[in-house]
Amino acid sequence: CAVGFDCVVYKSETVSKLLSSFFKEDKTKLSADAVVLMTEMLKVFVTEAAVRSQKQAESEDCNQVEIEHFEKILPQLVCDSVGSALLLF
Amino acid sequence: MTEDADETQVRRLKAAVHYTVGRFCQKIGEEHRREFSRQAVAAIAETTFRQCDIFAKDLEAFARHGKRTKVSVEDVKLTARRSAALSNYIQNRSEELALQHNDLKKTTGKKRRNTEEDTRE
Repeated sequence: CAVGFDCVVYKSETVSKLLSSFFKEDKTKLSADAVVLMTEMLKVFVTEAAVRSQKQAESEDCNQVEIEHFEKILPQLVCDSVGSALLLF
Repeated sequence: MTEDADETQVRRLKAAVHYTVGRFCQKIGEEHRREFSRQAVAAIAETTFRQCDIFAKDLEAFARHGKRTKVSVEDVKLTARRSAALSNYIQNRSEELALQHNDLKKTTGKKRRNTEEDTRE
């Protein structure tokens, strides 16, 4: 596994319920494989957030990762995962 | 009544996300000898929860565009398309899954079909 945190996982049941709760229509369902892949996606997202926050704390010589460190990396994290940054609009 | 039930459900899901995010942060923190403050963990959990909302709405829209009500692996690949690294990673994982399914079909095809029928009953 590229991310390397196999011992920490989301339960697929939780991911399935979580995504279903955000669907606009009740009849929308998830295939089993889609749930497995979404579990991976969330793992990548959280790991990315934690690693970037940790690096920010490191660059500021802090022993603890504070919310301020996460706030600093948040915009780039969201841009990188949701979409490429749009400079023109 | 149902709104209350929904709220409890949402609270439970949020708690589950918070718990798993906490474990991730602990793991990454240990590796770098740095602790994550409780506020930082809570903020990452909240962001993850909202990110799920975005992912779910995208998946639903992609499935509907494909005239399906079931979200497929292809829809997940579309959701991951913006980041090359993530997209590659998801592509590889989906190929692994497909291989696993092929193996299962070859070795226990008949058995598997039987058990599926059993569970349906």
